[in-house]
Amino acid sequence: MNLTSSRISTTDFAAAQEFYHSNGWTDGLPIIPPTPELVSASLGWALLPPEHLVGIEPVRERSITAEKLAVNAVMAGCLPEHFPLVVTAFTAMLQPQFLLHGATASTGGCAVLLIVNGPIRRELEMVATFNALGNTDRASAAVGRAIRLGLINLLDVRPGGIDRSTLGHPGKFSYCLAEDEENSPWPSLAEERLGESDVSAVTAVAAMAPRQIMNEWTSEPEQICDTISAEIRANQLHYSIWAGNYVVVLPTQLRQHFSDAGWSKADIQKCVFDRARVRRGSWNQVGKGSVVKDRADREYLAMETPEDLMIVAAGGPAGGFAQIIPPWLGTKSRATTVAVGACVDCEVP
Amino acid sequence: MDPSHEQQLVSSKPADRISNLEGAVIGLISNGKENTVPFFDRVESILRNEYGVSEVVRRIKKNYSAPAEVELMQEAMGWDAVLSGVGD
Repeated sequence: MNLTSSRISTTDFAAAQEFYHSNGWTDGLPIIPPTPELVSASLGWALLPPEHLVGIEPVRERSITAEKLAVNAVMAGCLPEHFPLVVTAFTAMLQPQFLLHGATASTGGCAVLLIVNGPIRRELEMVATFNALGNTDRASAAVGRAIRLGLINLLDVRPGGIDRSTLGHPGKFSYCLAEDEENSPWPSLAEERLGESDVSAVTAVAAMAPRQIMNEWTSEPEQICDTISAEIRANQLHYSIWAGNYVVVLPTQLRQHFSDAGWSKADIQKCVFDRARVRRGSWNQVGKGSVVKDRADREYLAMETPEDLMIVAAGGPAGGFAQIIPPWLGTKSRATTVAVGACVDCEVP
Repeated sequence: MDPSHEQQLVSSKPADRISNLEGAVIGLISNGKENTVPFFDRVESILRNEYGVSEVVRRIKKNYSAPAEVELMQEAMGWDAVLSGVGD
């Protein structure tokens, strides 16, 4: 395999760590030294030649090749079989509607959330139950980390460089979630968005940190919607009022209440869509009265359409919790779903 | 292996500076955020009253998280100088 990246020679593992850290090539954690053998193994598994163009970041006209992405994936701890998810994620992130440069450069400080669906979750033993948004499994941790290392090294998204985040959030280390399709009564997120069943896919979302809610004192679907909507309204008032792709991560217990009542994902989307809206005048109660102006009665929806609410089944079996993951900034960046192995903008031979 | 992009950066140089604002046409490209309005109002006032520019062209980008659109960049070619990259 004809790898073209410059070779680095270090005396041992520890020296490699110091060299990579000193060049600003890490996220502060130790890395796996990306040897040609490991990089070749990742490319081989994905059946991609090194020069394969995953995509081009249009603002800075920076091309992302499979070889460079594989180097960063190895560093993040990815095994060869994890690499197709990294390629798919970057393919999604490089679609124009994702607005990768804006999302990664903004002071808003979002991270790239990956939601993984389909058979590949089982093949990679991804865990979608206990601690779903925390430290779960090797594939989730490494794939999520590969995204950040790729951004750092391939697009110079370093804090204070391209990354102008005021605060950021911990998801910028790794933010990868598998959907618990086996225990869900509903079609998966990818099935909803791609219209294909049993497809392995990645949905990339420019996402803020999760906001946890709790309601263990009802089994009424409408009341659970009330709690979800209240948190979304709080985000609209306290952070950003603009409509966008919100993610709701629904664990088993609350999912069961909806399921018992015969509710589909669409029913939940409609219920939350109707409730998640605020009037500009409500800014008067949260210290933002100076920008209410003469538009106090203007209503702002949290989502442009019910389908913009992305419901993901994940989480442990007990606990009346859910998590709301707000968008970075309205519809500036659109959640993007790409099937694993899909050819986006490829030239037909 | 080197994990960085290792791509040759396209070289560019800053536009030629103008030596005198007297009679110049100056563009102000706002990202559209709320606080840019009073800020650029003040900048425009200074440019007109203290530096004698002949015209101040105020424009707003369509998307404050993306580069200015092509049409706007083409229009800017007709100005003597432009002030941009200022947020709130």
